[in-house]
Amino acid sequence: MIPREVYEQTIFQAIRKGSTTIAPDVCAAFERAIEAESRPAAREGLSKTYDSIRQSAVRDNPACPDTGWPIFYFKVGNQCELEGGFMGLEEATRSAVRRATREGYLRATMKHPLTGYDPGDNVGSNVPDFTYQFVPGSDLEVTYVAKGGGSECFGGTRHRVVAFADGVKGIEKFVVDSFVEATRSGGICPPNVLGIGIGGTANIAANLAKEAACLRTVGSHNPDGEFRKIEEDLYTALNSLGVGIMGIGGDTSVLGVNVEYAYTHIAGICVAISSNCMVARRGSLRICADGTVQEMSSPNWFEGR
Amino acid sequence: MATYYLKAPLSQQDVEQLRIGDVVYITGDVFTCRSRLHRWVLDEGHPLPEAGKERDVLIHVGPIVLPQPEGQYKLISFMPTSSIRFEKWGARAVDEWGLRMIVGKTTMGEQTMEMMKRKKCVHVSPQCVSPNAWVDSIHIDDVELFDELGTIEATWHMTVDKLGPFVVDIDCEGNNLYKNHEQEVNECRDKALAQLGIGPDFAYTKLY
Repeated sequence: MIPREVYEQTIFQAIRKGSTTIAPDVCAAFERAIEAESRPAAREGLSKTYDSIRQSAVRDNPACPDTGWPIFYFKVGNQCELEGGFMGLEEATRSAVRRATREGYLRATMKHPLTGYDPGDNVGSNVPDFTYQFVPGSDLEVTYVAKGGGSECFGGTRHRVVAFADGVKGIEKFVVDSFVEATRSGGICPPNVLGIGIGGTANIAANLAKEAACLRTVGSHNPDGEFRKIEEDLYTALNSLGVGIMGIGGDTSVLGVNVEYAYTHIAGICVAISSNCMVARRGSLRICADGTVQEMSSPNWFEGR
Repeated sequence: MATYYLKAPLSQQDVEQLRIGDVVYITGDVFTCRSRLHRWVLDEGHPLPEAGKERDVLIHVGPIVLPQPEGQYKLISFMPTSSIRFEKWGARAVDEWGLRMIVGKTTMGEQTMEMMKRKKCVHVSPQCVSPNAWVDSIHIDDVELFDELGTIEATWHMTVDKLGPFVVDIDCEGNNLYKNHEQEVNECRDKALAQLGIGPDFAYTKLY
């Protein structure tokens, strides 16, 4: 049985880690982008951003003040036992979010959608958000994602239904056109990690796109050849657009393109995209059945990718 | 393209000399604003906070600030937010608040640009995400509407020291840096689609 104190503290640490440090795969993508950049202004912008990211790890402050929506993914062992059960887990998460906001690891960003009322602690109707995956074993893996408002609100996250007859061309055209629209004047903080969900109902596709953007490691590939080809073709196409950091013009417009899919009704193929900010933030920790806590460099949400 | 170190409050001449692509660093007194302050003043008719009456550099930003004992405030993180979302209020803010410079991510739309041209005001934007460099250049002096609007929507009075670099994306002549760049990206898009085998004649099957 994992004590409540242990999982609440671990969730807080996942928030702190996700807000203040950037995962090794994202850092490696930054280093590749800086190395490859031919335009001086873009190279300087990337370098300054990467410097600030590294300073946040030392200063123990958020890598970007827009910590956005607090989103949690729990990978739960089928034999995992929690003191207080799963309602306790959600209550502990809300408590950890309140503490992280109070201590400056999260900005008080979540507000009432009509009045703008600010509870001041990032906790309200349907926020924070919880997603669960059940696996063999007795561990609990906790991933916190800071889903920034720039990449969410300015066109980088959306969906449409494409006819089966329109095939991969229809899917890819939607992605390219959407990305171009969304990166005008740098609203979505490019270069982005772009997640794409193909198939399922609109919400299934949107969830897959979000998970592909926020949980897949940058540089990983879908093991299915047809989807890997879409990832690679779109990575090349989007990086030929010249969007660059914050839309100012540059060689890198996406850090990665990750595709996930669901079986679907082929009357219409839902395609969803979800952009993650270049300052792509996530923090994962594993709690073993005996209460020990282990570091994880990636959420391991999609079995090794 | 030139680099300017400007002192706020700014003169008309300070901003008239700026052209899109120029780099600016700001020193002096500035104030902050987001959605709720725009609505508070321009839709609901409350008076503009005192900070806005004395200052002409507005930063669209929601900083992370932790209140300290004895009425002090500690700035934890700072990154300008997207200005385009305030377009509905932009022209009136420039006109009624007497702004000379708006600092924000992205840019402003046609109506605000038109007012900026008439009133001599520019928009500048960050071309990186480097909150740690900026936090060191900012001192928080005071805050208004903290209780009414919350930490990030309140109006912060800041004294800044060579805050930048920011790039002029809208100048007083009605030019927009991003609009020019848009044409280049559109041409690249057509080539990228062609490489994916998607020609200009591609049409989606109309499902709805």
